[in-house]
Amino acid sequence: MMPSCAGSALSRHLPLAFAAAVAVGVTFAATPARAQEHSAQTGIGGTWTISFSAGGNPGQTENTRLQQSEPPLKPEYRAVWQARQAAAREADARGEPLATSATFCLPQGMPSMMGGGGPFPMEILVSVGQVTIIQEAYNQVRRIYLDRPQLSLDEIEPGFYGRSVGHWEGDTLVVDTIGIKESVEFRNIPHTLNMRITERIRLVEPDVFVDEITIEDPEVLTEPWNMAFTFSRLPDYEIMEYVCEDNREYADESGATRLRVQ
Amino acid sequence: MQVRFNARKHAALVGAVAALVTFSAAAHHSFAIFDHSQTYTLKGTVREFQWTNPHGYIDLAVSEGPEGIDEFTIELTSINMLRRAGWRSTDVKAGDEVTAIVAPLLNGQKGGLLLELNVPDGRTLVPPVPAINTFQRTPAP
Repeated sequence: MMPSCAGSALSRHLPLAFAAAVAVGVTFAATPARAQEHSAQTGIGGTWTISFSAGGNPGQTENTRLQQSEPPLKPEYRAVWQARQAAAREADARGEPLATSATFCLPQGMPSMMGGGGPFPMEILVSVGQVTIIQEAYNQVRRIYLDRPQLSLDEIEPGFYGRSVGHWEGDTLVVDTIGIKESVEFRNIPHTLNMRITERIRLVEPDVFVDEITIEDPEVLTEPWNMAFTFSRLPDYEIMEYVCEDNREYADESGATRLRVQ
Repeated sequence: MQVRFNARKHAALVGAVAALVTFSAAAHHSFAIFDHSQTYTLKGTVREFQWTNPHGYIDLAVSEGPEGIDEFTIELTSINMLRRAGWRSTDVKAGDEVTAIVAPLLNGQKGGLLLELNVPDGRTLVPPVPAINTFQRTPAP
């Protein structure tokens, strides 16, 4: 019963779908530039890796430099950040590393998941009205709503990924993200709820894309902070699941990372 | 001349290793809870091989190893990293007699990080621990 119903619905809509497909085809055939843009836009779909280790990734040296670049922090926030970095280094030297969000198996959130995934690949899905980015580490998912207005900050509940809207400027996907919780930090750098992340995502070669990121947070930063990450395509890689099924690491009462042993 | 060249090479290596440590920390955590200055070689029977995230684990009943160690919790990397390095969830199973080289916990508890594992079919499995060469090996007794 169900298949025949579905079948008749399909046959009813088929002529319409065909007409739409023809119309799309005609549009692209009539405007080669549009067709090229379309290819650049859908081309960011696929599975990607950012690599900082030796070999392979054309952007790796630049990525490393940018990852380690100094954020343009105002003096009072620079002092906070430097104190945190020093405390982390000292704790590592003592063999008692400070617990981080990773100790609790929490996802990285934005913008860390775009540049700090370390050895974990990422998948981009391009669909009608939405680009979805899936980071393998911690099963992180970002949804970028296309051609929708951004909400005001007071309409957004703060979270790990915030709210992202985007639009295509030719071959470049421009993404605006706000609403990141203050506790969700990139490289231990403090930020306010007013932080705004702008990304320009562009395929620069058939198998290479660049994500240029600008972070604005006028209360904390002296100027917008720019960085860029380069990703290489992993043609046959299938993203694996990542479930924090048994996390034996924990923080003791002093805040140091410990391993639960049998 | 040769010495100077090696020193430069070494400095570059240290830099690369430091970068890897930083990024691996971003991926999950610091490896600073483990002793980088010595390793244990443990022979024993696998009680359980746990194919889980954020880390895989081997719970080992130790038959040969440092004095006083009869049980040991062995932490592996993320199973995603293991899988990409060629490991399978079936590579190790309860009851297997194995030899493990581990970097022990600094706090003296009976646990450590796996650096190398000999399994019954004769293979030596190496987990993709970032900066694995920064762990100094103690020769097996």
